[in-house]
Amino acid sequence: MDTLRDYKYTMESCNHCGQCRFILGPKMKGWEYAEVCPAYHRYKYDAYSGQGLINIAQELLEGTLNYEDDLLAHIYSCTTCGACDVNCKSVRDMEVLDTILALRVKCVEDGRGPMPQHKEYAGNVAARHNIYGRPHAQRSDWMFEGMRLSEGAATAYFVGCTTSYFYPDIARNTVKILQAGDVNFRLLKGEEHCCGAPLWRTGQREAAIKIAQQNLDTIRKLGIKTLITSCAECYGTFRGFYPRIAKPDFEVLHISEVVNRLLANGVLRPTGNVKMKVTYHDPCLLGRLSEPYVPWSGEIKPYGLHEPPKQWRRGTYGVYEAPRKVLRSIRGIQLVEMTRNEENAFCCGGGGGVPAAFPDFALSTARERIDEARSTGADAIVSSCPLCQSNLEKASGISGNGFRYLDFCELVAHAL
Amino acid sequence: MSLPRSIYKMFERVVGTEYISDRPHILAAYRHTSPQDGRKPASPDAVILPGNTEEVQAIVRICRRFGIKYNPVTSLLSVGMPPSDQLKVVLSLRRMNRVLEINEKDRYVVVEPAVRHVQLKPELMKRGLSYPVPSVGPSCSVMANFLAKGEHHNQHSTSRNNRYLLGYEWVMPTGEILRTGSLSNDAGWFCPDGPGPSLAGLVQRSNGVYTKAAIALDEWKGPRIMPAEGHTPSYKVRLPQDRHKVFIFKFPTLEKVRDVMVEMGKAEIGAAVLKFFYATAAVMFTVSANDFWNTWNSGLFQKELSKAVWVYLATRTPEEMAYEEGVMWDIVREMGGEEVDKSVRKIWEDNMDFFIIVSFLQRVLKLGGGWSPILHCESLPHSFEIAKTIPEFFNSFIDKGLVLNAPHNFQIIPIEYGHGAHIELLFFYDRFLPDAKMIPQELMKQSSEMDLRHQHYSPSPDKEQLYSNFQFWATKIRNAF
Repeated sequence: MDTLRDYKYTMESCNHCGQCRFILGPKMKGWEYAEVCPAYHRYKYDAYSGQGLINIAQELLEGTLNYEDDLLAHIYSCTTCGACDVNCKSVRDMEVLDTILALRVKCVEDGRGPMPQHKEYAGNVAARHNIYGRPHAQRSDWMFEGMRLSEGAATAYFVGCTTSYFYPDIARNTVKILQAGDVNFRLLKGEEHCCGAPLWRTGQREAAIKIAQQNLDTIRKLGIKTLITSCAECYGTFRGFYPRIAKPDFEVLHISEVVNRLLANGVLRPTGNVKMKVTYHDPCLLGRLSEPYVPWSGEIKPYGLHEPPKQWRRGTYGVYEAPRKVLRSIRGIQLVEMTRNEENAFCCGGGGGVPAAFPDFALSTARERIDEARSTGADAIVSSCPLCQSNLEKASGISGNGFRYLDFCELVAHAL
Repeated sequence: MSLPRSIYKMFERVVGTEYISDRPHILAAYRHTSPQDGRKPASPDAVILPGNTEEVQAIVRICRRFGIKYNPVTSLLSVGMPPSDQLKVVLSLRRMNRVLEINEKDRYVVVEPAVRHVQLKPELMKRGLSYPVPSVGPSCSVMANFLAKGEHHNQHSTSRNNRYLLGYEWVMPTGEILRTGSLSNDAGWFCPDGPGPSLAGLVQRSNGVYTKAAIALDEWKGPRIMPAEGHTPSYKVRLPQDRHKVFIFKFPTLEKVRDVMVEMGKAEIGAAVLKFFYATAAVMFTVSANDFWNTWNSGLFQKELSKAVWVYLATRTPEEMAYEEGVMWDIVREMGGEEVDKSVRKIWEDNMDFFIIVSFLQRVLKLGGGWSPILHCESLPHSFEIAKTIPEFFNSFIDKGLVLNAPHNFQIIPIEYGHGAHIELLFFYDRFLPDAKMIPQELMKQSSEMDLRHQHYSPSPDKEQLYSNFQFWATKIRNAF
């Protein structure tokens, strides 16, 4: 497992070019909505950008900066959305986000991090297998009568903590969609534990590894070959974190990819008419951060030559098209795009443990995103992640005028 | 050194508690050692984020009163402050990011310092207007590039950026405001030289803080929205082929390259005509450093692009395109040119943002961050004379393994249809080499010595004669403060 020291090349290579803060040139649309980093947008200081955080990481590593008041809050105010990372990687061979995550690991290992609210996550996960401290026995309370589960199936639906306890309709709609598509699947039920995302992204690496290992053991024990998620955080974690622990031997699919395949094969045919103008919000861990992680170890030679060649995650192959294709296939839906979309999407503010530790900042970030969504003339913002839903719903409620959040699965299930 | 609380409080009263900080972790962003320099800059004692000209004035007055050095910044490519016993503050102007006026009729725009190219350029494209974006990257400050002599790929049909500067608002080191051009006579921003002498050259070497600038605009002949396809890092930007075309021709000698540029300037065709850097091109149009090495080691760019001319035709109508293309071919054939390999030309056809905003310019940093330019501004024929002498000092650096083996990695861009020209040698070095930070300094020194030997104009400010004697006046005025 990598440590902060492994990102020395990144820290030393930064030329402060500013690309980590702004939308990429080919995607430019105007003065508004050009900034991509929520923390830089909110707090204004350069130190909050990806550049600033890797500068801080380097100074902490080299011992020229101490853990002073406010430093921890500064480090944990990043939503770890990765916009800085893919924008930097459009021009450089640097690992900005992994450096930020490794910085958080260092904070934990040094006995300073994470934020108090995040410490509760680890305790809750250890005791009850979910970050919210809810009874594990209630994890499957969302289930409904008439579900057709195939207990021996090699395909499983991984529901996730936030969906199970707070957004049960996402799970119910996912099941309805899978059933409509004649997908044989099973649930992990009592053996499903937190995917580890909140621990991983707050630097609590050991706890994250432990819980991930439990899930991996379960998946292997049950012979699961395909894991379907309806949560972007779970999806991105299975693809971006689990390969750091063990070589993946199962496929991970987001429900939007499954629906897209079923539509392409003619198995699913939306018949409903949903007359609505919508815009789609790309969740960070389903979009730019969803490419599979491939471990690399080797040598960085003169002029940046990586030997052996490294497989970079630059955000090129995120799940961008599948949800859009599905939405376009629904009669009556008019899909319009925000300026910051796909790999340039502005975070909803719901990631990296920010809502727990800095709720005001999380909400102001979501409001910025809602403002952008409304600027398209859409009636609603659609996304496919319960954490995005939580934050964007709060902000859209504040914005008023009937603008609302819609879950992807809800729309699809309604259209079937 | 830390800012005395009494002074900190004075600054705080100007901008509010939210927009000043002396916390070491906040200041970390301004003292990082840049790989292209290698020298650790001094840490500022505070960073202040003024929101308007009045706040800048108040800050400058406090600095003047207490002898505090200040460095105004937006982008941070050259943020470093030199070591000094004086108190030092960074003025981050990023809150001053408004587009104050877009005058479509008189074709000018007024901006604050932190408006970036990636923000302004599309706003103007929507209105059928444009301006030349220097080769700095989309996230850099528009105003900084126009106050300085920003260089760009379209200078052949336009000019350097400072020629577009219509006026500016300058908070002088005393804290007073000076406005130049017609603005100084309450006549708006339309004219750079109001009654009295032009002060445009002052901005090159003056202290103080520039808080507004008016910039002249051109017509934009392309689509109103950038037509981008695909995903990072491999976007494609293709403009309508009936009015936008890119060609790359190779020639047997540099003299032919020069003559083609001269003739195209005389004919006044082409939005862009230039000889671009071949190694930089390989860096810019590959994704990873490994990809660069694969391309570079194939030898394709060296074979096709060491003596090549890029031509970008941008016209209002297909008929105009047919005319320009016809003239271009006449000139190219007369000079014995031939098209480069189709795969090379396609790179530019697929990335026409190269002529609009240079989206991936910052890839020049990709080989680890060690790079530096040597610049001259000369007449077109003289630029080619300079180019011929580059091997005299450059080859020894190659032979010693200190720089990338790319002796033809220079660009020459005509200015105003060949009335002037810009030549720039861009070199890459491995920043992990012992004493790597000495490489740019030594190269610059030897380049200057070569200039003296050959009686070239030197990039050194005191010897630059092409633009009259503004530098002497700038120095005198700076010393007056």
